[in-house]
Amino acid sequence: MPVPRISGRTSRVITVNGEGLDWHEGMTVRDIIRARKFTFPMLAVWIDDSPVSRGAFDTTVVPDGATVQIIHMISGG
Amino acid sequence: MVRIYALYTPCMFHDQQGGIILKWLKVHPDKCVGCGTCMETCSSTWFKENNPALSRIRMTEKGEDDYDLNACNQCGTCIDMCPVGALSRDGNGIVRMNEKKCVGCLMCVGFCPTNSFFYHAARRPEPFKCIACGLCVKKCPVEALEIVTE
Amino acid sequence: MSKEMKLIAEWTYKPSDVVRGYTNQTLFVNVGSRKFAAKPVSEEMKLKFTGGRGFDLKLLWDAVNENTRWNDPENEIVISGGPLCGTTQYPGAGKFYAAFISPLTDQTYDSNSGGHFAPLLKLAGFDALELQGKAEKDVIVFIDGDAGKIQILESPFDDVNAYTITEALHEAFSDGSNDDKRFVSVISAGKAAEKSLWGCLNSSFWDIRRKVARLKQAGRGGGGTILRDKKIAAVVVRSHKLSGDINKAVDVQVLQDRGNKLHREIHDLDAQQCRMRTVGTPHLNEIMNEYHLLPTHNYKFGQHPDIDKIHSNVYEGLFTQGIPDGCWYGCSLACAKAVDNYTIQTGPCKGKVVTVDGPEYETVASLGSNVGVFNPQWTIEANFYADHYGVDTISLGTGFAFVCECYERGYITKEHTGGLDLNFGRADDLMELIHRMAVGKDEFALAVGQGIRKMKRIFADRYGAPYEEMEKFGMEGQGIEVSEYVPKESIAQWGGYFLTLKGPQHDEAWLIFMDRVNKQLPTFEDKAEALHYFPNFRTWFSLVGLCKLPWNDIEPADNATAHRPQDAAKVPEHVQNYVDIFNAVTGRNISKEELVLMSERVYNFQRVFNLRMGKGTRKDHNIPLRALGPVYPDEWLAREEYYDNELKSVGVEPAGLSVEEKIARLQEARLTQWEQLKDAVYKRRGWDRNGIPTVRKLKELGMDFPEVVSVVEKHARPEDQWKD
Repeated sequence: MPVPRISGRTSRVITVNGEGLDWHEGMTVRDIIRARKFTFPMLAVWIDDSPVSRGAFDTTVVPDGATVQIIHMISGG
Repeated sequence: MVRIYALYTPCMFHDQQGGIILKWLKVHPDKCVGCGTCMETCSSTWFKENNPALSRIRMTEKGEDDYDLNACNQCGTCIDMCPVGALSRDGNGIVRMNEKKCVGCLMCVGFCPTNSFFYHAARRPEPFKCIACGLCVKKCPVEALEIVTE
Repeated sequence: MSKEMKLIAEWTYKPSDVVRGYTNQTLFVNVGSRKFAAKPVSEEMKLKFTGGRGFDLKLLWDAVNENTRWNDPENEIVISGGPLCGTTQYPGAGKFYAAFISPLTDQTYDSNSGGHFAPLLKLAGFDALELQGKAEKDVIVFIDGDAGKIQILESPFDDVNAYTITEALHEAFSDGSNDDKRFVSVISAGKAAEKSLWGCLNSSFWDIRRKVARLKQAGRGGGGTILRDKKIAAVVVRSHKLSGDINKAVDVQVLQDRGNKLHREIHDLDAQQCRMRTVGTPHLNEIMNEYHLLPTHNYKFGQHPDIDKIHSNVYEGLFTQGIPDGCWYGCSLACAKAVDNYTIQTGPCKGKVVTVDGPEYETVASLGSNVGVFNPQWTIEANFYADHYGVDTISLGTGFAFVCECYERGYITKEHTGGLDLNFGRADDLMELIHRMAVGKDEFALAVGQGIRKMKRIFADRYGAPYEEMEKFGMEGQGIEVSEYVPKESIAQWGGYFLTLKGPQHDEAWLIFMDRVNKQLPTFEDKAEALHYFPNFRTWFSLVGLCKLPWNDIEPADNATAHRPQDAAKVPEHVQNYVDIFNAVTGRNISKEELVLMSERVYNFQRVFNLRMGKGTRKDHNIPLRALGPVYPDEWLAREEYYDNELKSVGVEPAGLSVEEKIARLQEARLTQWEQLKDAVYKRRGWDRNGIPTVRKLKELGMDFPEVVSVVEKHARPEDQWKD
C-alpha cells in the first residue's frame, strides 16, 4: 500500500516496492536490503526518480517518506 | 589430473606456469615524442600496410606532449584463456599464436590485463600482438623502446 | 576403430558452404530404410522459421501426422543450431535445439543443449539433421564433414552408456591425438533411456586441457528415449573446417566489436555479479533458499536449514578453477563447470576416477534439496549416473521427489519398492533406485521411469494409492515434471510454468522476482504482458543458436542506473548486441521489435502443432495444487504468518479456521486467479478462450499456411472466440 505523504510532518515510513517499511534517521540503501533480506547480487535501486549505483548502496542515505524500488534483475535458468 | 589454479602474479618476470620470461618489449612513455614511427614500422612490416589499426604497439596522445605506449609485456594471462590452446611461449618466453588453430574468439583480447591484444576484421579474424621482434626499437628516434632480455 | 565397425550404408554428398549463417541444406537420415537426402532450405523457410527450433518444428511437421506416436518410426529427432550457431566471437553461440514428439507429453518437445555438435554439423554442410526410422540393431550414424560422407555403421558397443561410448567415438573418429579429438562431437543417450521415458540426449565437446569428453545435455522431454527406441547408439559428426568466421558473416568487425565488449564486461563484472566463471549456475543455491524458492521435499517448502551444506561456496571449492569452461569456443561466461578426480562410490563404475559435468543449479536442487539429500558428493554421483545412463536430471529428481512423498504418506510401501526405503533424504536407497531404473530391475523401478503422470495411474491401479491425492502433489504439467523453482507464490510464474508450449520449464519465462519481489506485475494484464513478451523474447535464442545466459546472467555496469527498472530487466544493451550480431551475420536488417516477431511466428506454429497432435487446448494446461500453494498442514504451518496474510489478501479472515479449512479457502481463491490468468494470457497472445491461436493472429504473423489454418479451423469453436 503506498504511504500518503503528509506535508510538513515526518512519516518515519518509506515504501519499498510498494510496501511500507519503518524508517530511521541515517537509514541507508544497504539497511533496506538487509531488512528485506535481498541477497540477490544484481539489484537495481531507485529512490524516487533517481538511480543509485551498486557501489553507493552502503553510503546512500534514504530520506523519510521516500518511494524506493529495489528491482531484482531476472536471471533464473 | 593436476588441479589448475589461474594465478595472476603482478611480477613482470614470471608467467602463469612459473616459467621465466626471457625477452620482451619494454616501453618508456616519458621519452615518447609521438612521432608514430613505431606503429608505421610494425604495421608495414607485419601487415604490409601503414595503418595504426594494424600495429602491435599503440601510441596514443593523452595530453600535450604526453603519450601512452602500449605493447604486450608477455605476462601470459591469455595462454589459459584460449579454448583451443593456440597461445604458448616460444624458446625466448615470448607468447606466440598458432594462427591456424586460432578460432578468432577474442577472449585473449577481452581478458588481457593491459589491453595489448588487438584485432582488425578487414584483414583477418585472428587477433595480433607484439612478439618482441625489436624492429620498432631500432627505428625509434628517442630510445623510448627497449628489448629486454633476461 | 571406425575401420572395425561394419558399414551398413553410406552416402556421399557435396558439403555446401556456409553463407551468412546458413548452408541452405538439411540432412535427412532414415536408419530403418537407410535412405539419405539433402533437402534445400528456401528463403521462405528462413524468413518464417529462422532456424534452430524453428527449422526443427517445420521439418518435424512435414514428417509426422496427427496419429504419430513417439515410438512410431515416422517420429523424428530433428537437430538444428541456427544462423548464429558456431559464431566464436560472441559468448554463448554454439547451442542447438532437438525437437521430437515426446514420450512424456505426446506432443512436440524442444530441448536445448550446448557442446560442439551443431557448429560441426554446420561445418559439415547442414543447417539441420533429421533422424527418422528404426534400425534392426544398434547403429552409429557418422556425419563426415571432411570426406563428404554419411555412414550408418553397426554399433560394436555392448555398453551404450554415455561416457563410455563418447570417449570411444572421439578416439575412433580422430587420429587419436588430444588436439584432433576436438573436431568430433557425439550425441548419445544411455541404458536407462531404454527403460525410462526420461531419456536425455548427451552432446559432447572435447576438453583439451582435461583430455576428456565433456557432456552437455538436451536433457528434457525424452529425446534419449527416442534415440534408443530407434536403436541409435550414437550420432557422430566430424569437421576440421574451423576458422574465425564459420558463418561467413557480412560484417565480422561488428561480431568482433560486440564480442570483445562482452568479454571485457564479463572480465570486469562477473565476479561481483553472478560468478558464472567460478561457480556457474549453482550461484543460485543459497539465493533461491533465501527467497523460499529452493524446491525442498517435493516443493512442500522453499527453504531448508541444511542450505550451508550445499552453499555455492561449497561447490566453488569442488569445481576446478582456471580452465576455459565454455561449451563452445568464445564463451567467456564459461559456466560449464566440472568436478575432477571424483571417485565413484556405487554402481557399475564404482572405483573409477572421473570428471563429472556440473552439477548445474537444477541438479543441485532436483537431486538434492527436492529429495531431501543435502550432500554434494551424492549429488555429484547422481549427476554422473544420470548423464551416463542417459536420463534427464530434472525429471529424475522431481520424479523421485514425488515417489518419496508417496512413500512418506504410505501410499507405497517397502514391499512395493523392492525393499527400498524411500523417505526424503534416504540417499543410499535413492541412488540404488537410479541403478535399478537403468536396468529396469523390477516392476517398481520400471514404473518410476515412466514419469509422474503415468506413475500416478500405475500407483493407483497397482498399489491402491489415492489418485486424487497424488494429483495434488505430483508436480507435472502436460505430462512432464516441473523444473527446480517453487512457483507457488507467484501468479505470473504459475503461467511461466503451466501456460507454456511444452510443459513446466523455465526456457520460456522466469517471472518470480518481477512478480513477487519487485512487484512490477500488479495486474493480470501486466502478468499477461510479461507472459507474452518473455516467452517470445527468450525463445528467440532457440531460433538462432544462442545461449540465454550471456543475455542476463551478466549485465553492463550501467544497466541498473541507465534504464528504468522495467526496461533494465530486459538488459537493453545486450538486446541491441543481439540485433547487431544477427544483422552482421545474416545481412538482414531487423529491429528489436522484429526479433520478438520472429519468435512469435514459431511460437504460434508450435501451438498449432500441439493442437494437431490432439493437445494444445485449455484443459491441457493443467496445474497441480502444490504449484498454487500449500496442500497439507505442514506446508502452511512452516510459514504460518505469511500464509495467514495471504489468506487475508484474498479477503478471507483466518481467525477461527482450522489449518485444513485455511488451505481449502486459499486454494479456492487461487484457482479462481488461475482461471483469470489463463483468460488474460490467452487473450494477449491472440488465442481464443480455449487457447487456440486465431486465424487472424496467424495471418498477422504470416503463418497462415493452409495446413496450419486447417488444423485451427478443425478444432476452434465459435463459443470460444472473445466478444471484443
